[in-house]
Amino acid sequence: MSIKYTIDGVEVIAEPSDTILTSATRAGIEIPTLCFDKRTAIYGACGVCLVEVEGVPKLLRACSARPQEGYVVHLHSERVDRARKTALELLLSDHTGDCRGPCKLNCPAMTDCQKYVGEIREGRYKDAVSTVYEAFPLPASIGRVCPHPCEDACRRKMVEEPISIAFLKAFAADKIEADGDPYVVQCEPDTGKRVAIIGGGPAGLTAAYFLRRYGHAVTIFDQQPKMGGMLRYGIPEYRLPKAVLDREIQIIADAGVEMVNGVKLGRDIQFDALRAEYDAVLLAMGAWRSMNMRVPGEDLAGVHGGIDFLERLGLGERPTLGERVAVCGGGNTAMDCCRTAVRLGAKEVYVVYRRTRAEMPAADIEIEEAEEEGVTFKFLTNPIEFYGEDGHVTGMKLQVMELGEPDASGRRRPVPVEGATEDIPVDDVLMAIGQGADCAGAVAEELLTQRGTIACDEMTFRTAFDNVFAAGDVTNRGAGIAIQAIAEAQKAALCINNFLEGDEVRAQVPYFVTQEKTPEDFEDEPKQKREKMPGLTPEERRDNFEPIYFGFTEEQAQREASRCLECGCHDYYDCRLIKFANRFNVEPERFAGEMHDREDVPVVSEVIVHDPDKCVLCGLCYRTCDQVVGKTFLGLYNRGFSTVVNPMVPEEARTFCASCLKCVEACPTGAMRSFPAVERVTQLV
Amino acid sequence: MRLIVGEGSCGLAAGAGAVHTRLQELLAEANPTGVELGITGCNGMCFLEPIVDLYDDEGALHRLVKVQAKDADKIYQAATTGDLSLVDGLRISAEDAEFLDKQTRIALRDCGIIDPESIEDYLAHGGYQAITKILTTGMSQEDVIHEIDVAGLRGRGGAGFPTAFKWRAARDAKPDETGQKYLICNADEGDPGAFMDRAVIEGDPHSLIEGMLIGAYSIGASEGIVYVRAEYPLAIIRLRKAIEDATARGYLGDNILGSDFSCTLRIKAGAGAFVCGEETALIESLEGKRGMPRLKPPFPAQAGYWLKPSNINNVETYANVAWIIVNGGAAYAAMGTENSKGTKVFALSGKIRRGGLVEVPMGTTLREVIFDIGGGIRDNKEFKAVQLGGPSGGCVPASKLDTIIDYAELSATGAIMGSGGMVVMDESTCMVGMARFFLDFTAKESCGKCVHCRLGTKRMLEILSRVVDGKGEEGDIEKLEELCYAIKDGALCGLGQTAPNPVLTTIRYFRDEFEAHIAEHRCPAGECRELITYYIDQDKCVGCTACARQCPVQAISGERKSPHKIDPTLCIKCGNCKTACRFGAVQVR
Repeated sequence: MSIKYTIDGVEVIAEPSDTILTSATRAGIEIPTLCFDKRTAIYGACGVCLVEVEGVPKLLRACSARPQEGYVVHLHSERVDRARKTALELLLSDHTGDCRGPCKLNCPAMTDCQKYVGEIREGRYKDAVSTVYEAFPLPASIGRVCPHPCEDACRRKMVEEPISIAFLKAFAADKIEADGDPYVVQCEPDTGKRVAIIGGGPAGLTAAYFLRRYGHAVTIFDQQPKMGGMLRYGIPEYRLPKAVLDREIQIIADAGVEMVNGVKLGRDIQFDALRAEYDAVLLAMGAWRSMNMRVPGEDLAGVHGGIDFLERLGLGERPTLGERVAVCGGGNTAMDCCRTAVRLGAKEVYVVYRRTRAEMPAADIEIEEAEEEGVTFKFLTNPIEFYGEDGHVTGMKLQVMELGEPDASGRRRPVPVEGATEDIPVDDVLMAIGQGADCAGAVAEELLTQRGTIACDEMTFRTAFDNVFAAGDVTNRGAGIAIQAIAEAQKAALCINNFLEGDEVRAQVPYFVTQEKTPEDFEDEPKQKREKMPGLTPEERRDNFEPIYFGFTEEQAQREASRCLECGCHDYYDCRLIKFANRFNVEPERFAGEMHDREDVPVVSEVIVHDPDKCVLCGLCYRTCDQVVGKTFLGLYNRGFSTVVNPMVPEEARTFCASCLKCVEACPTGAMRSFPAVERVTQLV
Repeated sequence: MRLIVGEGSCGLAAGAGAVHTRLQELLAEANPTGVELGITGCNGMCFLEPIVDLYDDEGALHRLVKVQAKDADKIYQAATTGDLSLVDGLRISAEDAEFLDKQTRIALRDCGIIDPESIEDYLAHGGYQAITKILTTGMSQEDVIHEIDVAGLRGRGGAGFPTAFKWRAARDAKPDETGQKYLICNADEGDPGAFMDRAVIEGDPHSLIEGMLIGAYSIGASEGIVYVRAEYPLAIIRLRKAIEDATARGYLGDNILGSDFSCTLRIKAGAGAFVCGEETALIESLEGKRGMPRLKPPFPAQAGYWLKPSNINNVETYANVAWIIVNGGAAYAAMGTENSKGTKVFALSGKIRRGGLVEVPMGTTLREVIFDIGGGIRDNKEFKAVQLGGPSGGCVPASKLDTIIDYAELSATGAIMGSGGMVVMDESTCMVGMARFFLDFTAKESCGKCVHCRLGTKRMLEILSRVVDGKGEEGDIEKLEELCYAIKDGALCGLGQTAPNPVLTTIRYFRDEFEAHIAEHRCPAGECRELITYYIDQDKCVGCTACARQCPVQAISGERKSPHKIDPTLCIKCGNCKTACRFGAVQVR
């Protein structure tokens, strides 16, 4: 006789042999569980399937409780959610591993580096590019210019050097293009919603790409003659050939994004009109104003804003410079300026920087290459005056500095050495000490910060107006690297999409399990040097704007990709623990305490290993071995906090495991692993 | 004259074996007539062990206490000469004798009286009359269960489930084609501070056998298993002998007393896991598996040992059964309260003057047990709290001492009846440290199966440890409470679900002690090592140097006959000096 009862108001029919869980599953209602599998006997370890039944004082385990006629079951009461959350938090308080690799976690756009590096290793270049496109468009361009925070975090550097993650990305994108099989954006059906994006730089293009994928009609308005923003007008040709950028912008245009150039907000189009005409507006105009140094003589002819100077090059001009050029600043823009000055024929190029090389924000490789090209670095000096003749700069006075106490950024603060100054003769000065946005007059006053940037919420990217969002260098966060602008645009696009669909706008911050590693952890790892990128010699490159890198050969790329340590958990996409952790917004740090860090990873068989630190002791592996396979190869050892799953026989006797991998398939986390990794057949409920 | 040496584990630990040996030697040498030497189990007066009961020729009892081997000659002489004044110095005091006088003994009725290794002695004291009555007067299964129902007997192992209900469920459960049902005795007494089950098996094993026979008859089981913890070797030896004797006498085996009823009993020694006292974990262990609880339902009555209908009760429950059948359920129910009938055995321990086993009628107050029977607190200190029910129970403070022994009344305090552990604490006991002690026990004894117990108790233990180390953080009390309720809700079995009780009750009654540890880094009881400083009261110190000689790290300095000082930077807070000082000069702050 069947039993009728309700779960969250939905009527469910159960047979006498049913539990709440099995009858709910048949009714299409998901009850989360980590330890239940219908092929094995009910176990009840995880405590994640707890439900509340009206009139029953205790919470019940849905995996074992039999429903009774008229039961009113709640899956989502406050008590249930709290109990599940606590169970998950307790599990995660002793769960050691890396859900995702440090490369991905350190990428502002959360690009799945480990995945595409692996795909490149396997020769699946199209898949690799698609993986990048899940995070952002323009892989060939960004792969060339990104200062790659991913590589900073790469653990391979604890062995010798990080994986060449950025160049690999460019390689894959170039490769499929050369193979005549370019990436094509797949879009959702048209929604009929229209979004205007102001600014066609990395942020604007990224947002346009994602919003188009969501099915919205997108128009980008940009003040320059061509799209690309700072990628085109801020980065010199030798670093990013504009043909590459053009090709990648075309992919976005081909997806149906309308691109309108030569239009400036506040001049050619009006903010209020846009707001009225479009369902949503994204402000992504960037930060195009060179910061002034606020020292005497700054207005002399020959003292240029670094960004203005690069912009002129991007527009096709070839500005003439004097023989002696000083660049002020230590960032990537300063490097672009000094190396461009070399290429324009300056005889002596100085970089004036008030700290030392160690504190320079520019990428190391940029500094090295600038040195190779003959740039002179004047560290611990700070301009205090420009002076000149006939209104044109002829020299600058430098204050000699020394490093003092660390400042808020953690870098040691430069302090003047009293009375120590130096004069250098210069014909031109390029100021590259920072960029600011200049939105005054373009948008409504209430959107602006005091610094002239757009004020927007850090989680929703929303401005003071409901349907106006902002991302990239133009926001209150200020100017950063391209991938930061891209990351903001990616999230802002999601928020705009949520807004257009009527959902909650806020972007979610996902939870990941992470761990710290030290070089000692990799002592046994065989060394394999990072592949050297082939390119022009300093002599070959210093008088022209030819691209300085040729790109990896296919063999090189695969060799390089094979160096990856694969830090991120292999079972991330199948892991029910992390899935539930994010669903229930866990905060395991509340229960922070002793965590296992077991050196010995038990070898189960020739192809199976067990990582006890990832194990949630759901028992599915040993129960599957016993009850499904009919063997008793695995079992539990010890008690309490020390409980661990292990083979039940000594290593030399481990012959009766046939490596059927059923235990690996049953594991809800990445604790049971096989070599090589198998496709998981998740057979639950 | 008869000389009966109390030889339970407690008596033997105190030296009863040597007394016995010496008496035996003396008797063997002279071989006097009219003097018998025998043994008995524990009579509950553990604080007076070893005990020798001297029965004179009129049968009057002269109880000699704290007897040492050297006293054996005196006792021998008294017994052989009849001059009992020789042992006057060993006689129990009138005050201590009250310990037994104020009790009502049913489960322990023959403990400390009869020879546990003699079935004749058991029979002489009315043994096996109950099963004889059942089998010879044609009492049906329901007749027996009805009597237990009338008695109102509830499980004495801790949960207090009505015994008759369980028996009926097991009787009504349909067995499979083999027709097999099992009756199991839980003798895996694991609560720290509880030892009544051991006393019953060691002191009166046939009463357990008879109780189990009656249970087996009632549910239709033909096999009984006693799961005894292996840490009770004497109990196992005596029970094994009792089973052999009962089998030889026809009380066990086929067609018992000529009836259709057949039943065998066997012993399974447990391997020492606290969780195996949980009935489903015990069954798993019986089946040879790792001792981990099963989910209920199905209950053992439906699918227990080897998935056959099974009934489990603990030792003390079975020990009451024969008495009920002989005397009638109504006589049993005449004792106690509305919802808690009969008597309950408690194991009094801790800072109590008279520690041991106490059996009192339900409805007696805690104050009567602790002060009237137990004699109050040792060393003239103040009573602070009593822990009931061991690691699964809770503490009851002085303000609740008039609470009566009753399942519901005790639960209302946050403690539980439990299996009867009663650990008494005085003013020098830190309640946070006490909670930590029990949590340490449950965390270590967790089988590791469910998340809440395995990790929840671990995290609670970590918080409690940092609190007693003076490293508690604001919000720790609330975090503990949150974990307590989460574990109660989420843990799989009784062990986990009750593990938070000691913490919840100490927070409930002694929150100020937690706060003092956290906010002021102070242990009000002066017990938490990290939070106390030993110092010498300069006015009280006479300069005897006793403390300095006991100090393992030479932290105490001072001239002979002038006050000493403790260097707090060297002191490791072992407390040796405080113990050594005869003038109360070493103090703690």
